Amino acid sequence: MFAKTAWKNLWRNRRRTVITVTAMALGLALAIFFIAWGEGVYSRLIDQAVRLQAGHITLEAPGYLDAPAVDLTIPHANRLAAEIAALPDVERVKPIVLGQGMAKSGADAVGVVITGVLPSAERAASPIVQNMKEGRYLEDGDHALAVMGTKLAERLDLMPGKKLVIATNDVSGNLTEVLCRVAGLFETGADEVDGYYVQVPISFARKVFNMPEDQVTQLGVVLKNPDLQRRVMAEIRALVPAKEAVVLPWQEVMPEVASYIRMDSASNWVFQGILLFLVLFTIFNTVLMSVLERRREFAILLAIGTTPMRLATMVFFESVFLGLLGCGMGVLVGAGLSWFFNVVGIDMASLLPEGINISGFAVSTKIFTKLSAGIVLVPAGLVFAAILLLAAIPMRRAAKTRLAENLR
Amino acid sequence: MTQPIVDVNGVVKDYGQNSVVTHALRGVSLALMPGEFTAMAGPSGSGKSTLLNMIGALDRPTQGSVEIEGRDISAMKDAALSRLRRDRIGFVFQGYNLIPVMTAFENAEYVLMLQGIAPDERRRRVLAVLDQVGLAGMEKRFPRELSGGQQQRVAIARAIAPEPALVLADEPTANVDSKTAQSLLSLMRDLNDKGITFLFSTHDPAVMEKAKRLVTLKDGNIEDDEKR
Repeated sequence: MFAKTAWKNLWRNRRRTVITVTAMALGLALAIFFIAWGEGVYSRLIDQAVRLQAGHITLEAPGYLDAPAVDLTIPHANRLAAEIAALPDVERVKPIVLGQGMAKSGADAVGVVITGVLPSAERAASPIVQNMKEGRYLEDGDHALAVMGTKLAERLDLMPGKKLVIATNDVSGNLTEVLCRVAGLFETGADEVDGYYVQVPISFARKVFNMPEDQVTQLGVVLKNPDLQRRVMAEIRALVPAKEAVVLPWQEVMPEVASYIRMDSASNWVFQGILLFLVLFTIFNTVLMSVLERRREFAILLAIGTTPMRLATMVFFESVFLGLLGCGMGVLVGAGLSWFFNVVGIDMASLLPEGINISGFAVSTKIFTKLSAGIVLVPAGLVFAAILLLAAIPMRRAAKTRLAENLR
Repeated sequence: MTQPIVDVNGVVKDYGQNSVVTHALRGVSLALMPGEFTAMAGPSGSGKSTLLNMIGALDRPTQGSVEIEGRDISAMKDAALSRLRRDRIGFVFQGYNLIPVMTAFENAEYVLMLQGIAPDERRRRVLAVLDQVGLAGMEKRFPRELSGGQQQRVAIARAIAPEPALVLADEPTANVDSKTAQSLLSLMRDLNDKGITFLFSTHDPAVMEKAKRLVTLKDGNIEDDEKR
């Protein structure tokens, strides 16, 4: 009967209840949507970064992370790559030879990152492959060919078909210079990539660095589901002798991306927290007002034998119903919005014509929200729990109603 | 010898603190026997409502004692007072004071529900009391759908449904017209004839006339106690 009465009490001031529930639902829905939006951006950023660089999980020679050098290599890379690729949650394994050098043309010389890749492993999802502007991307059979960013090509005054000299130190520390031709130009939108990145076939990179055939500086592992990173790392560690390679998460290989996501995510949660706090304040105000307005009625209920505990329980039920209605609607609207934009996406190109560039990685201007049970249920659960906690004050006020004073 | 339902001994009630103290009751003693139909009269501020609050266990005296059926309420804890009010005292307030979101039936049923009486028994008793107060067929109406007199009848039904030893009524006819007041008074007299003890405060001379006993208060003291 107390629950039934509490439910009816909620609708005594229909307008106030509707406004409160709507405010709560709207606040929660916005919080869910913006968290889903943020997670969508991070997810896309991580995806772009790991596909361009060394995967969700990276294998490197011990010590390479602290002082990258081409002489720190993983031996038996082909066998290891095949074993890792056979794991059920692995999408692909990218063998990489990574080094520094100079790209020289008749016009200029620019310090660059030289990345030797297996073109077939990159072709499916690399942001470079997807953003080719001129010429073509690399093929597995290619040898002395390179792709580079449009900005670098502009500085070196190069175009597809033109010659380029790559100068670097090989694994023994000797200076080498190798001639190749430009196969194509890409434009990812990130200056750090478009201006200083040269990609070549891995066989050619080995020749440039004078590296043995079965060695790489990194093995990048791209996962089918990034959430399984920890589990797959454990599986890979079981396959790899510790002295040959260390198994690292992308967060350690690209700490600047990880810390950007941590900071931005934290500020997003704080901002949503402030929004929800304001919403909670509205709810608290509603419940408290409705209690203060009914002091005489509570005095009557206490006078005819209701215990203070039962009266407080009734007020608690009112908060519970208010919370369930608001949170329920907020979850439906927030999850619905997030789901819709998870499927359709939001194209920000008109608002951000220069593109989105985060930590040196270009992220597509079409943002897809990321929806998960945690994104929806954590804010909703926090709001609901806060409502129940906040109910303690109106409950106490109701239970402490002074009988004689309020019956006058 | 029959024990009084209510035994008020030298009750003093002061409101306020330090320099600003209002003496609402100044040493009142009063005993009510079972079956009485007593009116308390007196001007505003004479202490009628305060005395009613003391007897109804809604407030505690500053000095003196109040016993209900031999139990001193000033020594009882809040939970025990709640049980005492629930089981032994019925209240009829000025201005009806029904729960607006409950039907007439639910209002009358409320205290029985607090008492933990089974639903079938509650239904039987509520229908009987609503019939007794002349509201048969109006069980499903909400307070807003009832006239002032009908609402006060629901309040009386709520007060008597738990079969209390005593019904306290604070100016029960104050907010109704004289015809309705007469009809409510007749209802209370009929219930009194069936054994329910009534104590009510009033300003209404017509109500005082119907009372079997009239206690008159003035400035926090009993000025007159007339048994008829």
